[in-house]
Amino acid sequence: MTELAQNLIDALALGSLYALIALGVTVIYTVMGMMNFAHGEFIMLAAYALYVLAGLPFAAAVGGAVVTGVAIAVLAERIAFRPVRKADLSAQLVTSLAVATILQNVVTAAVDARPQSVSTPAFVSESTELGAISVSNLEFLTLGLTAIVLAGLGWVLYRTRAGLSMRAAAENFEMARLLGVQADRVIALSFAISGALAAAVGVLLVMQTGQVSPTMGLTPVLVGFVAVVIGGFGRMFGAALGGLLLGAVSSLLGAYLPDGLLPFRDAFVFSLPVAILIFKPQGLLGAATGEARV
Amino acid sequence: MSGGRLRSRSTVVVSLLVPFVLIAITMAVGANGTPSLQGTVTTILCNLIIVLGLQVFIGNSGVYSFGQLGFASAGAYAAALLTLPAAFAALQTPGLPGPIASAQLGPLLSTLIAAVACGVLATVVGLPLMRTSTLAIPISTFAFLIVLYNVLANWDAVSGGSSGLVSIPRTTSVESAGLWAAAAVVVALAFKWSARGYRLQATREDEVAARSLGIGVTRERLIAFALSGTLCGIGGALAVHQSGVLEPSTFYFAATVTTVTMLVLGGARSVFGAVLGAIAVASVNEVLRGVEDGAHLFGVLSVGETTGLAAIGVGLILLATMVALPDGLSGGREAGELAWIRRLGAVRPAPTPVAGDAAEIEKVEGAGSGVLRAEGISLAFGGLRVLRGVDLTLPRGEALGLIGPNGAGKTTLVNILSGFLAADGGTVRLDGADVSGRSPSYLARAGLGRTFQAALPFPHLSGLESVAVGAMGVGVGRREAVAVASEVLSRLGMREQAARPAGSLPPGSQRLLGVARALATRPRYLLLDEPAAGLSEVESEELVAVLRGVLEDFGCGLLLIEHEMSVVMSLCPQVQVLDDGVTLRIGSPAQVQADPAVIEAYLGSSYLAPTSA
Repeated sequence: MTELAQNLIDALALGSLYALIALGVTVIYTVMGMMNFAHGEFIMLAAYALYVLAGLPFAAAVGGAVVTGVAIAVLAERIAFRPVRKADLSAQLVTSLAVATILQNVVTAAVDARPQSVSTPAFVSESTELGAISVSNLEFLTLGLTAIVLAGLGWVLYRTRAGLSMRAAAENFEMARLLGVQADRVIALSFAISGALAAAVGVLLVMQTGQVSPTMGLTPVLVGFVAVVIGGFGRMFGAALGGLLLGAVSSLLGAYLPDGLLPFRDAFVFSLPVAILIFKPQGLLGAATGEARV
Repeated sequence: MSGGRLRSRSTVVVSLLVPFVLIAITMAVGANGTPSLQGTVTTILCNLIIVLGLQVFIGNSGVYSFGQLGFASAGAYAAALLTLPAAFAALQTPGLPGPIASAQLGPLLSTLIAAVACGVLATVVGLPLMRTSTLAIPISTFAFLIVLYNVLANWDAVSGGSSGLVSIPRTTSVESAGLWAAAAVVVALAFKWSARGYRLQATREDEVAARSLGIGVTRERLIAFALSGTLCGIGGALAVHQSGVLEPSTFYFAATVTTVTMLVLGGARSVFGAVLGAIAVASVNEVLRGVEDGAHLFGVLSVGETTGLAAIGVGLILLATMVALPDGLSGGREAGELAWIRRLGAVRPAPTPVAGDAAEIEKVEGAGSGVLRAEGISLAFGGLRVLRGVDLTLPRGEALGLIGPNGAGKTTLVNILSGFLAADGGTVRLDGADVSGRSPSYLARAGLGRTFQAALPFPHLSGLESVAVGAMGVGVGRREAVAVASEVLSRLGMREQAARPAGSLPPGSQRLLGVARALATRPRYLLLDEPAAGLSEVESEELVAVLRGVLEDFGCGLLLIEHEMSVVMSLCPQVQVLDDGVTLRIGSPAQVQADPAVIEAYLGSSYLAPTSA
């Protein structure tokens, strides 16, 4: 019983982290219809900000990471993604793949291909005993942050003018534009939000593993993509749900897979979307815009 | 005599020179090149085969797969395990089943087995993945790549785990790689120019229009996916027999980016582009690798040892191509289609199709009998009841006009008849057989053609190709399809437009091409959704003449949605008026035009009963 409760808490924590990743991917997809391969590299660069700013107090380094995440995301949009905004989604996807490759290897060239360790404050690794269950501060932090982000994103989207513009753009980009929504500003805002979410994930990943590497964004971006597929394309909170589900499955597989199969956990986790897509080609919740164009 | 050729013979011949040039170069390098040059060229050729594999799927379908390097990896592992000397196999892969561990096959047999294995693997993987959407395929294939990597990196007893395999026999010579690459070019071209290839390209150009021509999107994608996996597997097998070492990361993310860049830089739609791109990217890579090791560029710029430069270069090439040169170096054309080669006079334009010499389009058998009948069709979108029990009868050989104010449900009805929407209630019978709920491609093959309000052209296919795809879509072979297309274009007076890309034609011609495309499926019933919309008066009159010819020559039933009453009046003896999801009237054009209820529906009640005030 306690073991089950413990595993569920762990599953919820990992699911929250994955939900944050998924939100960062889906906020771009919902507004401009682009799946952004470079999101993993936004996460990676924010994490490297912690590595570079290691001399500063941790809170200041975290601030630096957020600034880095936002700046890189906005810059990438301005330089690389704006010119292909009107291209089809395959072209945009490949463009973001190019951006991902460049960012990843700039870091490789500037720092090193090998992982670098980053020290994190001691409180991260401490944990609180709740009866027989132990919850690490990192798990508390992840859960709390996810709750705050979800609430905050909901508030921005549904209670502010900027959020209204974003939702209008997501609904029908051209029409929103005709009605006076400033496309450049809305898209820049979406990238800023996505960059901030990437930074949050980057910081949490560093706290979890204590290291950074140029390829650390690869698995997270796949997590984000798969979560978007599971949740149904273009559904902001569907993607968060998809992330939660994926993280929970991954965590529970880690707890319950027999030892011999444990190394193959990722194989099981990433086969999940395939299994779902066989029965629900449009994702669990269905795509937001599924009607045939005829 | 050639009423039916999609391209001139000289275009084909020039395009097929590419593999011979490849073979000649590799023979020369094999005879005179240094071992290091031979090694470089062999690597490029192995990559080229993989890029050709990508071209077969991505180039023809327009859908990106990021999982094809997984098949290269699978092919490499299969070939390596089948050829490892038994002593090394016992050390590195103790869990391998005995027959495989001790197989120690030769290079040719192991490559062939790897190719077949990858074809089977791609079919199994593709079966579920190809059913998903254009956007889900890149993601789920990427997931496949990661799943395979995870398995290979951890299945120590069979794959050698993350440290990989060594001491694999190095049997791939530059000559053998050249022969395989040349064969792969021929296969990719043959596929692209086959009926199957054309059907897949049609789905790339416009998925909805392709389905209306009888093309099963999932099926065509799956076949190309399997062929692509086979080619990638061959590339991987040859590569591992060149390098002699193999790790799970050999064909992983970096290799995926590199090969996709090669494809995109060359121009994904073109097989020739794959060759160009593979050579161009490999050359840049080679230079940058030199710099990575700390070279002196031009004797001036000295750079310290820096890893990652080559990959940055690849990324920048990819980015620049996407932004500035989306059609790639080849512009999406094959060698024989390039403008500068044409100017050399080596290539003559394809002959304009001529009517009469091609097989006569026989009136569809039993013309005049049979009927398309819809009964009690209803459909609601949420709370909005778009259709409320509509009946429709369209006998073969006759024309029925379907008119009504905007929002009456006309297009929705056509979408239901043609399978693009499923009705909530009611039945559709095609010559007596219940076809309710069938897919658009099934209905197209069963004899139901349609056009759309938008022209939905296949921009990169020529007029002749666009129409021939219509016939191929319902299962006609390539040769006969071209004959049918020539005939249809001649009847429609569109011979001049046959050789030009459909995307470059004026809107009126694109619209007419849509009608031609549907006619090439030899429909027994043809549903036209506002064919005259946006046409000038002259073009409208031409369209009426064409459609009258269609009625006489093809003997199909014609359902015409049209706002232009002059078009309806001159073609349709019967008109059905829809309003707010129900049938208001059926009668001759004169009758319905004089009907007060119809006028009211169109103009509102105030028109009939003006207030005296």
